[in-house]
Amino acid sequence: MIVVTGTGIVSAIGTNTSEVANALLEDVSGIAPVNFLQTQHRQMPVGEVKLSNEQLAQRLGIVSTGNTSRTMLLGTLALREALAMAGIKGDELEGVALVSGTTVADMDCAEQRFDPRNDHVALGDCGRSTEDMAQHVGRFGFVTTCSTACSSAANAFILGANLLRSGRFKQVVVGGTECLSRFHFNGFRSLMILDGEPCRPFDATRAGLNLGEGAAFVVLETAEHAAQRGAKAMAQLSGWGNACDAFHQTASSDDGIGAVLSMRQALQRAGLKPADIQYVNAHGTGTPNNDASESEALHRVFGETMPPVSSTKSRTGHTTSASGSIEAVICLLAMRHGFIPSNLNWHHAMDKGIVPVAKTLRQQQLQHVLCNSFGFGGNDTSLVFSALSASSKPWSQQPLRPVYVKTMVTFGDIPEAELPRIPPLVARRLSGVLKRALLTSLVALQRSGIQQPQAIITGTAMGCVVETEKFLTELATDGEGSLKPTNFIHSTHNTISSLIAIHTHCHSYNSTYAHGQRSLESALTDAWLQIALGDLNSALVGLHDEADQKAVSFVLTNEPEGAVCTLHSLDDLQKLCCACLH
Amino acid sequence: MEELKEILKKQIIEALSLEDMSPADIDDAAPLFGDGLGLDSIDALELIVLMEKQYGIRLSNPADGKEILLR
Repeated sequence: MIVVTGTGIVSAIGTNTSEVANALLEDVSGIAPVNFLQTQHRQMPVGEVKLSNEQLAQRLGIVSTGNTSRTMLLGTLALREALAMAGIKGDELEGVALVSGTTVADMDCAEQRFDPRNDHVALGDCGRSTEDMAQHVGRFGFVTTCSTACSSAANAFILGANLLRSGRFKQVVVGGTECLSRFHFNGFRSLMILDGEPCRPFDATRAGLNLGEGAAFVVLETAEHAAQRGAKAMAQLSGWGNACDAFHQTASSDDGIGAVLSMRQALQRAGLKPADIQYVNAHGTGTPNNDASESEALHRVFGETMPPVSSTKSRTGHTTSASGSIEAVICLLAMRHGFIPSNLNWHHAMDKGIVPVAKTLRQQQLQHVLCNSFGFGGNDTSLVFSALSASSKPWSQQPLRPVYVKTMVTFGDIPEAELPRIPPLVARRLSGVLKRALLTSLVALQRSGIQQPQAIITGTAMGCVVETEKFLTELATDGEGSLKPTNFIHSTHNTISSLIAIHTHCHSYNSTYAHGQRSLESALTDAWLQIALGDLNSALVGLHDEADQKAVSFVLTNEPEGAVCTLHSLDDLQKLCCACLH
Repeated sequence: MEELKEILKKQIIEALSLEDMSPADIDDAAPLFGDGLGLDSIDALELIVLMEKQYGIRLSNPADGKEILLR
C-alpha cells in the first residue's frame, strides 16, 4: 500500500495546508483582478497567490533577485511544508526522489530578460527550475521534471508510485509548481479560452477559464516504511491511470475517450467499481470544450451511479501544471475533514452536462475519491485516493522483469527511402524538432513491427524552442495584442509525444520529461519501471531537441527476441544514455 | 475585388503555413473548413488573428468566428 504522509500547498486560497482547508470549508474564492502579473490586461480575473515575490522570498529566507523565479519560490514553499509534515529532515533526502511537474518553469524571469535582437536568447528551462527549487530544500537522491502541460503534477504521482513499487526508493515527493507568466497568459488569450468573468465550470453560460498559480507536493511512501519510522499516514494512493485522447493538440474529443480510459484504468488499479467513488474532483476548466467532453466521459464511466462532482478551479483558477497536485491535496483535505467542496458560480445546467455540487456538503465519510487532470495534447490522468481503513491489495515487492531494447534509431542514420510520408496538412505545422521526432518514432515502430506502442514517452530538454522564441519575439515587439496561437501551442513540451500519439491514433500511456541533460534518462526510467513491473509490454521512448538536431528513438519491450541490449536495472539505463549522448 | 481576393488568399496561405499551395488552389466557393481545405479550429484562430492584424476586424467569441468563416 502506498500512503500519503505529508502535504504542502500554496494557491490563491491559502499559503499552507490548513489555510487552504479553512478557505475550502468557508467557500472562499481566490479569483480576483490581476495584482502581481505584469500585463496590460489588468481587469482579467486570475487566481494569484496573495504574496509578492519579495514576501515569498522573505518567508523562505531566500535572497530574491531579478532571476528568482516565482515558480521556484512557490514550489519551495509547498515542498518544505510537505517534507516538514512528513517529518523528513534535510539529511534524509538522499533516500528520497523528487518528481515535480512544470511547463512554465522560470519563464517569468526569461520573458523579462528576453531580447529578440540577441542571438543567444534565454528561454524558460523546466529542469533548471526544478533543480533550483530542489537546491533550496536539500540533496535529493533523484530529481526529475514531468512536463505534460496541465496534467504534469498528476503524472508525477505515477512515476513516484512506480519508483516505490520497484523498491528503488522508499519515499518520494511528487507534485508540481507553476506561476503566472505573461507568456502563457497571452498564450491562453490567443486560444480565446480565457473568461473575462469569474469562471463557471459546468454551467450553461461558461465562457472559458481563469488562469491561476500555485504549487503542491505530496510525500508518498510504503505503509510499512511509514509504520517503521512512526510517521502518521493520512490516506492511500490506491489508483492511477493515464491515457491519451489522441485527438487534437488543444481540444478534447467529443466522446472524451482519453478521459474515459484514464478514469477506468485508475478504478481498475484501485480494484474499485465506479459506484465505489464518492467524490470526483473534475478537471472542469470552464471552457465550453473541456466541460462538454469531460461530462460525456463522466457519463460513460459512471452512468447511473454518478457521484458528487465539482471543479475547484472556480476557487483556485486553473493552476495548469500544478493543478494535478493542488487538486490532489484538495481531495485529501476533503477526506480528512469529511466534506465535498462546491463548484462555485454554478447556476444553469448545460445540455448533456453533469450537475455539479452547488453547495458544499459537510459530514461526509469519504472512502474513495477520484481526481482528474487533463493536459494539452489530450494527456488525461486520473488519480484515486482511498481512506486507510478501506480494504486494499496487500503491499508486496514486485518481481522485476528484464527489459529489452528492441530498436534504436537515430534520425541522421535513416535512409531517405525509409522515411515515411507525412500528409501536407500535418507537415505544414512541424518545425525541425517535431518533424524529426515524428519520422524517427515512426521508423522505430516500423522496424519493431509495432503499430501502437503501450507507451509513448519523450525526453526533451527544451521542446520546440523555435516556436517558443517566435511567441516571445511577437510578445516583445507587438505587445499583448493578438498573437499567433500555433506558436504558443507548440511551446508546450508534450507537443512531441502528443503529435506521435495523434498520428498513430494511439491512446496509450503518454508522458514527457524535460530535465536538461537527464531528460532521456528520466523518460527511459519511466518506461523501464512500467515494463519491469509488468504493467506494460512495450514503450516508444525518444530524445528530441532542436539543439544538435537531436532525434533518437528506442522501442523497449519485455521480449528478448532480436534485442539490441538488455536493461536489467536502472543503472543499465545510465550506460545507454551515456552511449547515446556522446 | 479579384485583386483583394488574391491578396487575401496569399495572406491565408502565409498565416496557415500552406506552403505548397498557391492562391489558384483555393476555390472561391469551397468552404475553408471540413471538406474544403480541411482546416481545423487552430486555423480558425489564426484567421481571426489575421483579420484583426490586417483588417482591424475584431471577434471576441471564437465560436462566432467559426460560424462566420464557414459561410
